[in-house]
Amino acid sequence: MSDIGKALVVDDSSVNRQLLVRRLEKLGLDVLQAENGAEGLAVLAANPGVIDVVLLDVVMPELDGYQTLAAMKANDSMRHIPVLVVSSVEELDSVVRCIELGATDYLTKPINPSILAARIDASLAAKRLHDLEQESLERQRALNRTIQRQKEELSRFLSPQVAALVSSPEGEQLLAGHRREITVAFCDLRGFTAFAEQAEPEILIGVLAEYHRMMGGAITEHGGTLEHFAGDGVMVFFNDPVAQDDHVERAVRMAVTMRTRFAELASVWHHRGYELGFGVGIAVGFATLGRIGYDGRHDYGAIGNVTILASRLSSQAQAGQILLSPRAQLMIEGLVESESVGELTLKGLRQPVLASNVVALR
Amino acid sequence: MPDAEAPVLDEAVLIELKETTGDDPAFVRDLVETYLADVPIQLGGIEAAIAANDAEALIRPAHTLKSSSAAVGAMRLSDVSRTLEMAGRSGTLDASAPDNAKAARAEWQSVEAAFSAWMAGEGRA
Repeated sequence: MSDIGKALVVDDSSVNRQLLVRRLEKLGLDVLQAENGAEGLAVLAANPGVIDVVLLDVVMPELDGYQTLAAMKANDSMRHIPVLVVSSVEELDSVVRCIELGATDYLTKPINPSILAARIDASLAAKRLHDLEQESLERQRALNRTIQRQKEELSRFLSPQVAALVSSPEGEQLLAGHRREITVAFCDLRGFTAFAEQAEPEILIGVLAEYHRMMGGAITEHGGTLEHFAGDGVMVFFNDPVAQDDHVERAVRMAVTMRTRFAELASVWHHRGYELGFGVGIAVGFATLGRIGYDGRHDYGAIGNVTILASRLSSQAQAGQILLSPRAQLMIEGLVESESVGELTLKGLRQPVLASNVVALR
Repeated sequence: MPDAEAPVLDEAVLIELKETTGDDPAFVRDLVETYLADVPIQLGGIEAAIAANDAEALIRPAHTLKSSSAAVGAMRLSDVSRTLEMAGRSGTLDASAPDNAKAARAEWQSVEAAFSAWMAGEGRA
């Protein structure tokens, strides 16, 4: 047994075979032998992935060197094995033909031991390189499968845009924090606290699941980035991490879709005796976005007055109202039918805010 | 035709063979024995091809005898085998082919005698 490699000698001449085997063994190779091409192919097939170099005679019975080469090159598991053609000096034409058929190199008989050693070294190096490439390809494939699986797992926990961002090349930079104008929509339920106090936990979970499923569908349809679910409260923002020129319009359309679908849910709940209403607050402004949290637990979040404003508007909204901040109203004018709800005094804000309710889309 | 200048057995080839295969006299002896057992088979093939006037069938035994003879230093037998191989490759066998086959058979007797002497002397060393 040896470490440097395994060779296969295919030659019908017993003298040549015996001599070549001996020379290869002297170079430190393990050697297998075959008396003709057909036998050589059988040895190759019986030892998959084992043989590092084939020394092939041209003139042989059964299957000659050309046919053997052609068969090897047509076989996926043999194609990459280096083949050294062994021929006499008069046969240089056949050497050319063998190289064209895919042979690596040739040796002339009688074989010069130094040239044999050099050709074997080159062939083994080529084979090792090929094997390394295969290993590296296989590792790359395994890595890609892992990354794909991780992406799929991530997208169950994160909004799809954030999952894509995490695994994108510019992800780290965006996660580190950046400032951008966004539209924030904050939604929550009227009457939820009272409902939660009375309802059985199973019913509460069931109602929340129906509500979240409906909300999730609308968020995805409009390309919103879900920041978080907190009980009945849902915060969604637009224009980040994916840029959206129409971010205000998207937020308003999403809120109107949610309001319509919520009405269907609410009527079912009403028949069961649960009274729940839906309110939304929408604001536009600059926020700092990125990774928020501490080691081991981070969220992709938005921080800024705009999120506070959207949240306060949402808490002021009556059941069925979608309240817009003045700037959001200004940017969406013409696309919606709205009514002023007057100046609202919002917790934590010094100035009262002139808000309007979205009645319908135009 | 065999080159009259070339020796029946070029012992320098055998010496080099021994030196380049690990200085193991037993290996060289084994190789020579393999050769001595193989020559009659190849000569038989040559003679059968010529009797059948089959140029194609002449190529392989002549080719094998040419290279194995050269490997062990039987240079004149290698040369006459090369001439036969070329005749086979030419596609038609003229009157020289049977003559060369006879010459090969005659040379074989000299080769066998030379190796017997070598085996008794140097080959045992």
